[in-house]
Amino acid sequence: MISMNKVSKHYGAFQVLTDCTTQVHKGEVIVVCGPSGSGKSTLIKCVNGLEPFQSGEIIVNGVSVGDPKTNLSKLRSTVGMVFQNFELFPHMRIIDNLTIAQVKVLGRNPEQAREKGFKLLDRVGLRVQAEKYPGQLSGGQQQRVAIARALSMDPICMLFDEPTSALDPEMINEVLDVMTELAQEGMTMMCVTHEMGFARRVASRVIFMDQGRIVEDDSKEAFFGNPRSERAQQFLAKILHH
Amino acid sequence: MHEFDWSSIPNALPFLWDGMLISLEITLSAVVFGIVWGTLLALMRLSSITPLSWFAAGYVNLFRAVPLVMVLLWFFLIVPHLLESLFGLPRGTDMRLTSAIAGFALFEAAYYSEIIRAGIQSVSRGQMAAASALGMTYSQAMRLVVLPQAFRNMVPLLLTQGIILFQDTSLVYVSALADFFGAAYKVGDRDGRLVELLLFAGAVYFVLCFAASRIVRHYQNKLKTA
Repeated sequence: MISMNKVSKHYGAFQVLTDCTTQVHKGEVIVVCGPSGSGKSTLIKCVNGLEPFQSGEIIVNGVSVGDPKTNLSKLRSTVGMVFQNFELFPHMRIIDNLTIAQVKVLGRNPEQAREKGFKLLDRVGLRVQAEKYPGQLSGGQQQRVAIARALSMDPICMLFDEPTSALDPEMINEVLDVMTELAQEGMTMMCVTHEMGFARRVASRVIFMDQGRIVEDDSKEAFFGNPRSERAQQFLAKILHH
Repeated sequence: MHEFDWSSIPNALPFLWDGMLISLEITLSAVVFGIVWGTLLALMRLSSITPLSWFAAGYVNLFRAVPLVMVLLWFFLIVPHLLESLFGLPRGTDMRLTSAIAGFALFEAAYYSEIIRAGIQSVSRGQMAAASALGMTYSQAMRLVVLPQAFRNMVPLLLTQGIILFQDTSLVYVSALADFFGAAYKVGDRDGRLVELLLFAGAVYFVLCFAASRIVRHYQNKLKTA
């Protein structure tokens, strides 16, 4: 589904990603973790071309992301993405947040789009909020809407960029629950997150990054049981024992 | 001590009213055209296509570095000739109003584009990323997501600029066009009552602009609490 081969990226002299290579198969849930500044967010933003990269290759569902001839908008409409700061459109009601791209990008008729929007709101437990504006919802609710908005496009896979980092602790679980459910339904997912409990429960594989490199790429059992690199051992020790 | 005599004003009211209509016509046309052209300039300025961004920067810097009254005179002198030769209009057609509107609109667009550029930059970059991630093209993301938010933040500034523009329309007197200020001047000159007429005109400008700026402030406060 997603295949990365020796992806490298730099801002001027600063190397952000170095030779990142990995594979995500259909139905897999990949958790990407690592210290801040290690390039995790940049890596998943490269998958849908939000961040350009200078060398290497990323193929999503048979389409090369870095190829200048690729219609990036079309590709992105098939890849769902959820951001750290939700990024709902604040000038639109919740239901319009869920329909606008369906109508303007996919060309669905507005009635169908609304129906689909309501169904997805139901699914994340927020149907009663449909007519409100994003500013009137809590962070956890906004993030659930953002997930529903991404799902409204019927994506072939989902990218999550630290979806719970901006949330109050008591709201993290409501978002993780939605993500867990999604994973159990077989959605292909790539999640940048520090939620190791989530990783233990649903990840098929864990990717650990440090200084722009993929240091570990292993099954969760191997990663949590016996991380090979010293850097990953330190990281796990810190994150699990605080 | 000057003896005030206001008697020439009542009879002149219809003429002054016509002048006010001209002032408002220039203001409204220049605001509408200035915002449209200013938006395009702002988008060019922010564009990654270098020639477009240079053009916009040059345009804005040029118009912000010359006096408005000079721009108006240029247009007063050039536009009629240009239109005459372009559309074969008969010589001497009165195009003072058209050239005044064109001059104001092109001049104000430079100022509007800076307001709009700041407005666009005030919308978080994440909004553009989110719109793109949903498959929107650049122009869809701008039109549906970024610009509506930018304009909402900018409304008070755009209106304030409109009020300044309304005051500046009095500069069209250089082309002897009878806008409100020009009309008042003409009546005063004719009746030897220039002081009274100019005081009256000043009072009218003050009342209109002060009221308008109060409305803007009211709107601004509402925006803040929303």
